[in-house]
Amino acid sequence: MGYQRVQKDFATFLLYVLGFFLLWEWLRPVEELTDTSNIIVFLVFLVLSLLLAFFGVSPVMSSIIKVLYILYELHYLYFEGSFFQFSWIAVFASDMWHNFGLLAERDWPAITNLFRSLLFFILLWLMTYLIQYWLINRRQIFIFFFMTLIYITVLDTFTPYTADAAIVRAVIAGFTVMGILTFNRLLEQEGLKKEASLSRKWMIPLTALIALSTGLGFAAPKAEPIWPDPVPFIKSYGQNSGSDGPGIQKIGYGEDDSRLGGPFIGDNAVVFRAEVESRHYWKVETKDTYTGKGWVTSQPEGEYLPFGMGEEIPVTSFIDNDAIETTEEVSSVYTFMNYPHVVYPLGLKNIEASPFITFELETATEKIRTLDSGRPFALEDYKLGFEVPEYSVTAMKASGAKAESLPEEFLSRYTQLPEELPERVRELAQEITQDQPDWFEKARELERYFRRAEYTYSQTDAAVPDENEDYVDQFLFDTKVGYCDNFSSSMVVMARSIGLPARWVKGYTEGEFKQSLGSGLRLFEVTNNNAHSWVEIYFPEMGWVPFEPTQGFNNNVQFNFDTAGQNTSQPEADKPKETETPIKPDKPEVTSSEESPFTLEKLWSNIESFFKEHWKVIGAAVLAAALLVIVIFQKRGKWLPHYFIWRFKRTRNDEHFSKAYLILLKELDRYGLKRKNGQTLREYAKYIDSFFSTREMSRLTAYYEELVYRGVLREGSWNDTKELWENLIKRTIA
Amino acid sequence: MDRNQMHPAIERVLGNIEKVMIGKRDVAELSLVALLAEGHVLLEDVPGVGKTMMVRALAKSVGAAFKRIQFTPDLLPSDVTGVSIYNPKEMEFQFRPGPIMGNIILADEINRTSPKTQSALLEGMEESSVTIDGVTHRLERPFFVMATQNPIEYEGTYPLPEAQLDRFLLKMKMGYPEIADEMEVLNRAQRIPPIEDLETVMDLAELRSLQTEIKEVHVDQTIKRYIVEIAGGTRNHSSVYLGASPRGSIALMKAAQAYAFMYGRDYVLPDDIQYLAPAVFVHRIILRSEAKFEGITAEEVVERVIARVSVPVQRLVK
Repeated sequence: MGYQRVQKDFATFLLYVLGFFLLWEWLRPVEELTDTSNIIVFLVFLVLSLLLAFFGVSPVMSSIIKVLYILYELHYLYFEGSFFQFSWIAVFASDMWHNFGLLAERDWPAITNLFRSLLFFILLWLMTYLIQYWLINRRQIFIFFFMTLIYITVLDTFTPYTADAAIVRAVIAGFTVMGILTFNRLLEQEGLKKEASLSRKWMIPLTALIALSTGLGFAAPKAEPIWPDPVPFIKSYGQNSGSDGPGIQKIGYGEDDSRLGGPFIGDNAVVFRAEVESRHYWKVETKDTYTGKGWVTSQPEGEYLPFGMGEEIPVTSFIDNDAIETTEEVSSVYTFMNYPHVVYPLGLKNIEASPFITFELETATEKIRTLDSGRPFALEDYKLGFEVPEYSVTAMKASGAKAESLPEEFLSRYTQLPEELPERVRELAQEITQDQPDWFEKARELERYFRRAEYTYSQTDAAVPDENEDYVDQFLFDTKVGYCDNFSSSMVVMARSIGLPARWVKGYTEGEFKQSLGSGLRLFEVTNNNAHSWVEIYFPEMGWVPFEPTQGFNNNVQFNFDTAGQNTSQPEADKPKETETPIKPDKPEVTSSEESPFTLEKLWSNIESFFKEHWKVIGAAVLAAALLVIVIFQKRGKWLPHYFIWRFKRTRNDEHFSKAYLILLKELDRYGLKRKNGQTLREYAKYIDSFFSTREMSRLTAYYEELVYRGVLREGSWNDTKELWENLIKRTIA
Repeated sequence: MDRNQMHPAIERVLGNIEKVMIGKRDVAELSLVALLAEGHVLLEDVPGVGKTMMVRALAKSVGAAFKRIQFTPDLLPSDVTGVSIYNPKEMEFQFRPGPIMGNIILADEINRTSPKTQSALLEGMEESSVTIDGVTHRLERPFFVMATQNPIEYEGTYPLPEAQLDRFLLKMKMGYPEIADEMEVLNRAQRIPPIEDLETVMDLAELRSLQTEIKEVHVDQTIKRYIVEIAGGTRNHSSVYLGASPRGSIALMKAAQAYAFMYGRDYVLPDDIQYLAPAVFVHRIILRSEAKFEGITAEEVVERVIARVSVPVQRLVK
């Protein structure tokens, strides 16, 4: 490592000191960000290593010193007793052995701190070698300096580490080192002797320049960032929940809905299994305040209504009255995740769980929490008794007229809308519902509106609204692509905009049917993928009635049409069935008649549908291919000459001479040495030769002139000129 | 162009001329090109820059009979061609050849004389023969006329008609010598004029054989096309009223052959064409009057055409 060549002058010492400072910048955050303590031990090791290098201690000697130091410090950190008792050596060795085993097993977390410290010492040892090599042998430190800056800035951006001072220190140290190294390189290149006066001439301006630029940088006003901070986005990308704001979210039941939007990733983790008699949705909570970006609760949190086992549950759902026929049902829930709350169906009457469990209803959200002696507790299983309502449509239709009976406070709470809500949302809601006479039909019309083809259900293509965009407005008018949150929020907002009290419900769908258990019971499995949101609209004297605007979903709510006016309600009557059985019974006949002949149209439609399905992939592939082609073309200066050399290398045929020469002309042109239109080959060759300081082009051109202007190709001219040609074309390699 | 590759006989002649004409090698070269290509030269310049000296040196070098005609407004055609005089002793007309019956003729200030007299000379230049009293006299080869004219803006001149200008292979300017060259001219003028001592370095027979050899210099199809394109370019140029004629194209080709030969090549390069095109074409181009007012010269037009026409770098595909 050239220990002998180290000059022991002040400038070299300064180099080592500055190199140490740069290394130190790497260690500072380690202390702050990891649980590493006693960082001073490692710093001393750095100083020791660099000093040994500076004084040119022989490698063997310095290695011994370093090993002794490492052992001493390891002993000091991890062992009791005296260093010279040596009894600890055995323990140390066995620990090493154990850790090597762990390394082989790739059991990284189990590696002991002792071993980690040893590895860290070795790493630092290597680093000091590198610093020594860069400073003394290569006399180039830029890469290391640059890496240091990257390291510091990345840590500053993504971790609590504040690098305000570190960046200044690193810049000063780095610039000084680079300045001194440049000076050393210049001295070597020009073969100058290092004189004090010369050093002064260099060092004083260097110092002044660094001081000036640092001072300027310090004093200059700092502009605010022009771009929005990308860090939260990158961070949220790396995390699985949307708690830090929109981004890619993992599907599932989340608490925070204040910023909706963004794609979802499916998650098949099972939340619970349920034995049910009829399929129904599972509620968890409701939210009442729409912010323009998502949902929050208006009521103060932490207001709880406690109730015990078997007591009347204060959840608001439908109101007992003659217009609603009810069927009593029981469902059992077996949870797989530790949520301290229950999932419950509409019309919940009572909960049965293990004794001593108490419940409390969060009034703001109607979330039922489970408690064990006052602390949140996740139940393993519970039984829910509830009544399944069947609404009379006649009563529903009549209900809207009694809106005046609703308390003012209630109405304003459930028809709340943000002031920034774009007017066109209201206008759209008006337009959709203007022909409908009553609340019920209006609600149905709104629900139906989302079944239109222009809206598409997608978990991945959902957009995140910008700062000045409204979540609902964006979905309704711009993107028209989204998942349940988009659909349900939009319906709630539209219902509210026409005066219907509505709220946003979160929970799960009925899940996936697993098996029949006999006696009318069926087992459903609900996973994170079944997390869902829907709508409840309040009808006076009827209560909260669920609606399902999301495409492809169906909440099994029964409406009784028997007494209703046949004229309007007929189409809706069979609607639930229709969505419940998506496979149309007449499908086999249709396909069989279509399938028989092979036609061009069918081929065309196949191709079309293929492109429609895969247009993103195809587009991306085409784009990537185009980019690749562009890049390859842009970089042709690097490979094209090699290709030509390879192509003409083997040929001995003089016929190729002309081709090769013309290619050379083209390559020179690409290189930037353009031949003017009226420039003769001879003049051009002179120009090329003066550019490359050769005579090769003129010599080559003489051969070519004879070929072109005399029509004579001398035998062996390609062989004679091949070397000239090759040399020239090599010069065009960028 | 590399002087080392020069044809040895021609280099001898040029070297000889350089002994008396200092710093005018390009003019000497072009004159020799015209001589070798069996053309004629029009020198346009003010008096006293060495036009006569050039022609005399050239004539002396090749051992040719040198004649000089000083054109004046009252010169008659017979003063040029010669005249038949009645010889009372022999009882018949006897032809007394005029100065045109030489090998190398200096027609000094050709635009000072009347068109009638000019045409007498020009017939000889084009046909290589003169007709006097119905008898046609062949002129001896080589026949080379170097005409000089004062710039036509001067008073009392009869500008040569376009058709007659066309007969000159090249038109060039002598120009004043460089300072150092002119000082050398003064040095030499102190002694006896060196022209008297000039030796003949090539005889007429050799010159004639060179003239024949030159016709064999290869002009490739690509070059011919290049010539034609340049000529066409002068015809289509927006500032030009009348461009170079096909005779101009032929002249350019012949001159290029001679020039290539001079440089020891048996084939013509685009470089030859580019070098000679101004000298061949400038006097064959008539500019529009608007262009003249704008100060555009025929030289500039030819230069622009050359810069625009692309040089052939590949063989023509048949």
